[in-house]
Formats: sequence, structure tokens, C-alpha cells
Amino acid sequence: MVTLTIDDKQVTASKNATIYEAAKAAGIQIPVICHDKKLNPFGGCRMCLVEVEQMKGRQIPACTTPVTEGMIVRTTTDEIIKARKMVLELLLLKHPIDCPVCDAAGDCDLQNLTYEYKVNTNRFQDEKFNWKIDYENPLIERDMNRCVHCGKCARICDEIVSYGAYSFINRGINAKIGTEYDGPLNCEFCGSCVSVCPVGALVSRPFKFKARWWAMNKVKTVCGYCGTGCQLTLGVKDSKVLTTIYDENQGFHNGQLCTRGRWGYQFINSDKRITTPLVKKNGSLQPATWEEALNVVSAKLKEAKSTPDSLAALVSPRLTNEELLLTRKLFKDLLGCDNVDHSAGYAHTALTSGAKESLGYPASPSVVADVQKSDLLLVINADLYQTHPVLGFEINLAVKRQGSAIQIVSDKKGKLSKLPEAKTSIYKPGAELLVINAIAKVILDENLLDSSAQSTGGFSAWQKGLESLSVDQAADQCGIAADEIKAIARNYAKAEKALILLPTGMGYPGHGKELAQAVINLALLTGKVGKEGSGVLILGEKNNSQGAADLSIHPTSGGKSALDIIAGCVSGSIKTLYVAGENPVVSYPNRKLVETALEKVEFLVVQDLFLTPTAAMADVVLPACSFAEKDGTFTSALGAVQRVNRAINPVGESRSDFRILNDLYNAVSGQPAFTDVKAAFQELSGTVAGYAGLSYDTLGDEGSVRPVSGTATFVPVAAAAPATESGKLALVTGSALNHSGTLSVYGEGPMLVCPEAYVELNREDAKSLSISDGDQVAIKSSTGELRLKAKVGSRLPKGVVFAPYHFADASINTVTAGSAVTFVTIGK
Amino acid sequence: MSNAPAEAKNDEKTPAEEIDLGPANHVIDKYLTLHGNLMPVLQGIQDEYGYVPKPTIDLVAERLNVYPSQIFGVLTFYAQFHLKPRGRFIIRVCVGTACHVQGSPRIVETFFDKLGIGHAETTPDLRYTFEKVACLGACGMAPLAMVNDSTYGAMTVQKVDQIIADYNQRPMK
Repeated sequence: MVTLTIDDKQVTASKNATIYEAAKAAGIQIPVICHDKKLNPFGGCRMCLVEVEQMKGRQIPACTTPVTEGMIVRTTTDEIIKARKMVLELLLLKHPIDCPVCDAAGDCDLQNLTYEYKVNTNRFQDEKFNWKIDYENPLIERDMNRCVHCGKCARICDEIVSYGAYSFINRGINAKIGTEYDGPLNCEFCGSCVSVCPVGALVSRPFKFKARWWAMNKVKTVCGYCGTGCQLTLGVKDSKVLTTIYDENQGFHNGQLCTRGRWGYQFINSDKRITTPLVKKNGSLQPATWEEALNVVSAKLKEAKSTPDSLAALVSPRLTNEELLLTRKLFKDLLGCDNVDHSAGYAHTALTSGAKESLGYPASPSVVADVQKSDLLLVINADLYQTHPVLGFEINLAVKRQGSAIQIVSDKKGKLSKLPEAKTSIYKPGAELLVINAIAKVILDENLLDSSAQSTGGFSAWQKGLESLSVDQAADQCGIAADEIKAIARNYAKAEKALILLPTGMGYPGHGKELAQAVINLALLTGKVGKEGSGVLILGEKNNSQGAADLSIHPTSGGKSALDIIAGCVSGSIKTLYVAGENPVVSYPNRKLVETALEKVEFLVVQDLFLTPTAAMADVVLPACSFAEKDGTFTSALGAVQRVNRAINPVGESRSDFRILNDLYNAVSGQPAFTDVKAAFQELSGTVAGYAGLSYDTLGDEGSVRPVSGTATFVPVAAAAPATESGKLALVTGSALNHSGTLSVYGEGPMLVCPEAYVELNREDAKSLSISDGDQVAIKSSTGELRLKAKVGSRLPKGVVFAPYHFADASINTVTAGSAVTFVTIGK
Repeated sequence: MSNAPAEAKNDEKTPAEEIDLGPANHVIDKYLTLHGNLMPVLQGIQDEYGYVPKPTIDLVAERLNVYPSQIFGVLTFYAQFHLKPRGRFIIRVCVGTACHVQGSPRIVETFFDKLGIGHAETTPDLRYTFEKVACLGACGMAPLAMVNDSTYGAMTVQKVDQIIADYNQRPMK
């Protein structure tokens, strides 16, 4: 620690701190424009100039100068104020000063500092710039006339996002922030640049002219898309969510968001929302009152109480913990029905049976802070960046700033493969289990295991199961050379701190129970569980997938799992199906089968925001609220229990899932399950492991990481050679970067960037099939046939094709039936 | 002094270029393991092609794992790099103080007239590129012109005709 004096105040700071940081910690605010706490110091704008007595009154930048013992700093002398005024005059010289029509007004560093330093005249005169404004991309308006050259956009895009869309181009007075060939912006559109822009040079196009910054309420909540659990601030006016607002003090991610988090909010106030209950009359869905709709549904539920096996519920992990608890109480406790599941039944097994059996709890042993403390990140499937983009930023930072090594084991390359020194090993689709087992075998063979492994339960049985595995044979079968597998094993075993990251989701049928157990075995073998910077992160797909796992929203006493429920509808054993927020027609395997099931089931209730293809088949549709219209909690894939706060009134007559389920509970039992959300949380904290001691009121803005505990054990996992079919391409499914589940297709932003379903294939395959980028192609499997747009690139290995699963039109489940790999033929 | 004869502005967009990437790949191979290899690679590519064609930027980005935007930033920062094809013969006329008083503006205007191109432009047949430069370091020979490595001192308007006539005869290599 270092002691120094800032403005006559004794300040103690870490020896690595800058003057700016030391002053800030002491409550002394030094003005900055180019500085950002997330980025490396830049020292470009000269607003933070201060005087240091030991430097003979020279003015030095506070944001780049480290503190030294006994330093005497003055932050606001007359000379400094004069210098800062001149910096502002020079910035205003070229700036158009078009504040009345600028969306940044009110939230603009230049405007605020000009006001604070009372710069009401300018001693300099010059022509303004006349740069062409970039309106050619759908989301970000780039007006370089307003730019103050702080470079934050280029730096964040490089340092954190690792996309590198921007650079300073040209030089001298003509220097500006530009793209490759100074063309229109064409990037992944996370909007990080917009969030850090101190002026209005980069603004959100969907938000343009929607509201003044100061006229909006800012409501803190949690993003409703993926499991990363990013905290979010919604900009609200007249009970409408108009934008997301950047708050650098929110969450582990410092307010950073991805495309869907930042631009996908429009589904909340979409005019496609269902605003009244709908009841099927004479073959079509007609608007009805809540009373009528709830009477119909509760009568059916009461009827089913005597035959609970004929009832089933599919519930979305997008619901809050309190709503999931209510679902459990209504269906399992009150109606005695165990046919309750979510996420197609397979997308949660990595947690609910994999981790549960191997670790004793259905969650990851590691937390987000481990990512940046790790020496080696072992990423299973490069798609992690697509499924959990903001966690991808953490990985970028770990590799680029903390110097972690990264090893990707995947069926295709991805953005993470481009990180400095990143190693990507490509296996044949469906071979992930075999690869992980082979890595474990090498560690056993070369005696690289940790001393703790042998005393862990199940070790000898597990070891025995691997005895017959030949690494050379496995290498042949999985497509990664034996030497490469050995190198991965050695690096992993020898790394002091190594973290395995495993994304899961509806698009990844292969990432289930067995794969989770295989990676946990690997971590246990090398003593990596329970150590800082080490362990395993199994990433639930949706915003509350982890909550659904924690609350056991799946069959627990012999009930039917999701796919069995679908089969039960087909066979007629399930007569009443309650679907809350799930969209099985689009996201469950085998669309035709699901449609048959929903046609056959006698009574179908769908509770959703939109008239999805699933809701369109219902007998009763109950309009539910989005996350912005309700209170409650979500539990992130990283274990944080966080508060969701109501930002707007329910749209139309829609009601929160909590209210709907509570009303039904009341109708069936004669009394509501809970008085309010808070009471539900209280019960949750009393009954769910890890939630004990949490209180709804004290979760605060930060949330709380709930602890996990259990006894780890080795679980044998058998791995077969991946299937192949000669003459056919191997189709793997997954997430597109801009989308999450089937919800983001109702958000305007993601649809502007990624509007339709596609199939991605390798250049060589495309060439041999005479397919060009953008062609419509036919994909045929044993399950069905589909036409999709072709996207030709170099990400995929030869013989492998990829398709995302989010889109209702031309949904990929027309050709897939739930296996990890689907063999298809593709032609024009 | 003006920079160019009023001329229909070239299309800003670079036309789709079909070039042989072999020489560029060769240059990259040569410097692949060198630390800080971007500058020598770009210089090598410019030596091969006479300018830095767009497809080579994408190639360099891919092979050196550098963002294309940053490569473009480097290319536009240094005056030594050219993004458009350059002429076989680079004509430079000094407009420094000494040459200016000796009448170089008239020499420049004459070249503009005769070649039909302005400052930093290239004739459509790729024979000539014309540039005004601040000083060529031979003020004693003012007004001075250079064509590639040959110098022409004590320039006159008449000599402009002779130079152009001479270089019109020379092979394009």
C-alpha cells in the first residue's frame, strides 16, 4: 500500500493504483472522457490532468500515472481548470453541438463537462467535419462528426469483445474511427461500443428519437435471455420499455451486454403480444375473459386430480423461481402429478442428473470469478460464445489480459478459436464423450492424477470401466490425433488451476448427463473441483435454467419426462397438457411428432406471451407477462440468485405466470398457494438447498451466489465411437449468436441482424454440392425435409453442417429427432 | 494551389479485385514467425503488387490473426502505403519553398493538363501517377521533378512535354 495526499487529504491506495483510481476511492472525482475502468489506461483526452508537487507543477494525466509514496496531488488548481477548459474548447471546436437532436443528451460526458466547466465561449474557430453518417447497418448509428476520439469503442471491441470492428484510420486532422475500408459497420452487434461512447457518436438506431434520457425511469433487473444472468437496466417511459441503459457498475460484467440483451428488449412491448385470454370455440381461438378462461382450465385440472397420470405440464425455465415453485406446488403437491418437465427433458440433465449424481447437487461447482483466475480454460464446444456471449467476454479477458491458456475441444471452430494462442481440437460430431474419456485415460496411464482422486468415491469402478479404452483407437474414432489428445491431457492435468466450461441447451442433445459426468470425472481425477480458478461450469441455457434445476422441475418420482409426455399425448395416455412458456413445436425434437401430440391431446392449455405455433394449437391460451412486468428471482448458470424487478404494467390484460398459477391453485384448492412473490421466496429459502438464509429483501441489486455442497463421486460413463453414414453430411444444431431459445425472434434487434433460419456449411462441401452462399437448399433426413438458406464459410470441418434452432418458420426440428447428430443430404 | 483538375470523382468503392494471392502468401510465409510482422508483410505485399490490394488485407488478417480494421488503420496512417493501383511511372514535382519561387506551380499545372490527372491520382492506363511533394532535397536544381528514380532539374513547361513524350515510349514492363 502507498500513502499519498490528494487535495490535502491523506489517501491510502494499492501500489498498482493510478492517481485517478486512488482519488476515486477517496471520493474525489477527477473528470475523464477516454478512461473506462474496464479498459486498459489510454491517456488520450487530457481531461484528467492533475498537478503533482514532486513533478514541479507539471500537469500529468491521472488515469495513466501510478501512485507513489508521499505523492502530493492537486486535482483542481486554477491552472488545471484552465487546461481542462481548453481541452473542452478544442473538443467543441469540431463537435457539431447538436444536443437538441442527440439521443446522448443528458447522458453525454462532453455535455456534462462543458456545463460543469462553464465553457460558454470558444476562443478557437474552425470548420466542422462533414463525415457521412453510417445508416447502413440496422442497429448502430455512427455519426463520426460527434466523435471525440476517445477510442473507447475501438478498445472495448478489441480488449473485451475481441471482434475488432473499429480502428483509428487516416491521420492528423483527418483521423477518425473507422472500419475496414471505412465501410458500413458489419459486426456481431453486441453494442458494447454504444454503451461506452461518451457522446452521441454511436447511438442505438431502434431507440432513436424515442425519449430523452432524463425522461425515462431506469429500472434495474436481470436479462431474460440466457443463463449468464447479466444484470440489466431498462429505460422505461409511459409504461413502455424503450431501451436498455448501460450502467458500468452492474454485475460481474460491468454492464456489458450481448446483442440479444442489449437490442432484444422489443419483444416486451411488441404488438404481437397476446393481450386477452383466448378460448377455442367452434374450432378457432376467440378472445375471452379471464374468468371464463380460468374456469375452463380449473375445471379440467380438478377433473384431472383423480387421474393425475393423465395430466402433464411443460414449464419454461424462463419463469421466475417463485413461479416454478408454484408450478411444483400446483402440479406435484396439489394435483399429485409428476409428469412435469422442461427444456425437452434432455437440456437440463447435465445438471439435474449429471451433476446431481456426480457432485451431489444439480449445479456447477465453480462460479464466474473462477474464469479470470484460471491458468487453463478447457472449453467443450466452441459454441459457448453463442450460447453465453457475455461469459465469452470473460473468457476473452482471461486469455488476453490474465494470460490464461485456452484449449477448445469442439466439433467446429468458433470465435474463441481466434484468441491469441488458442488451441482448437476438432472431433467428429458426436465424439465428445469419447474424447473426454480418452483424455482421462491418458491421465491415468501417465499417472498424472491428483492424490485426492483415489480416495474419492467410485474411483476404482470408474477406473475399471476405462481399462479397455485404447487411446489410439479412440483417437482414430474421434478424429483428434492421439498425440493431440495426450497433449491436452498433460496440459490439463499439469495446470495448477484449470476450468472446464460446458454449455448445454435445447440445440445440444449431446450435452446431457453423460457428458457432464465425463467432464466432472476428469476434474475430480485431477483434483480440480473445489479450488479457486478451477472446476467445472455447466451452463444452463435459459435465464432460469439453474433455478429450474435447483427446484427440481422435472419428474422426481417416476413421472414422465418431456419427450415421454409428448409420446404420451400421441398414445392417448396424457389427456390434459399444460404448457407454460415452452414452445415444443419449434424447439423439441421432431416437429411432426410434437404437432401430432398436440393435436391428439384432449385439452391443451398454453400460457405464453405470444401466439407461438404451440399456442396456436391450444384449447385455451392464457396471456402471460414478460420478465419486465414481474417481480421475482432468477438463478443464473453461475449460481447467482438475482432480483427481477417489475418495470412496466402488464401489457394488455396479460398476467404474470405467478398470478395465473396462483389463481388456478386457488380455484382447485380453495385457497391461494402464496399471498405474494415474497412469501413464495420465503418458502423457497426454507426448502431448497443452498437458498437457506437468503431473503428476498436483502438480495439487493447485486444478488447473492448461493452455496453448493455435496459428496463427489466418480460415475462410469460409457462412450461409443461416433456414428457415421457414408455419403451423408453430419448435421449438428445449436444456438445462433443473436438468438436465445424461441423468444428472441420476437425481438426486433436480433431479427434485424439474423432474420431467418440457415444452414452453415464448409466451403469444400459447398463447392462439391455446387452451393453458393445465400442459396436456398433442401435438407433431407430420415425424419423430414426442409428448405433453408445456405451460409458458406470456413468454421465447420468438411462433412459437418450446422443449423440454429430458434426459428418457427423452417424450424430445424423438422429434420432432427433428438440425437446428437443427424445425418442429412443437402441439395439445391 | 489546387490538388486536381476538376474531374469526375472516382467511384469510392474499390471494384472487386481478382488477384493472384500467391505472392502475398509467399511474403506472409517469410515473416510468419517474426514478432511485429505486420509492417514488413504489408511492405512486402506492396513491393509485389505495387499497392496493397483488398484481398490481401483479408488474407493478412486471416493468417496473422489481426483485425482487418486495424490493418486498414495502419495502411491509412502511413503515407508509404497505397490502396489503389499505382502507375508504372511515379512523377513527383517539388512544391517546397525554393521550387515554389522558381515557378513549380506552373510545372504542376502543366502536368495536370497534359496527363489529365490531379495530385495523388493515376492515369486509367496505369502508366502515370502524379504527386506533389514538399521537398526532394535538391533545392539547387529548383524547380525539380522526378520520375521514379530519375531527377529532372531546372524544369520548364517545355520540358514537361519532353518528359511525357519520353516516358510514353517506355515499356510498361
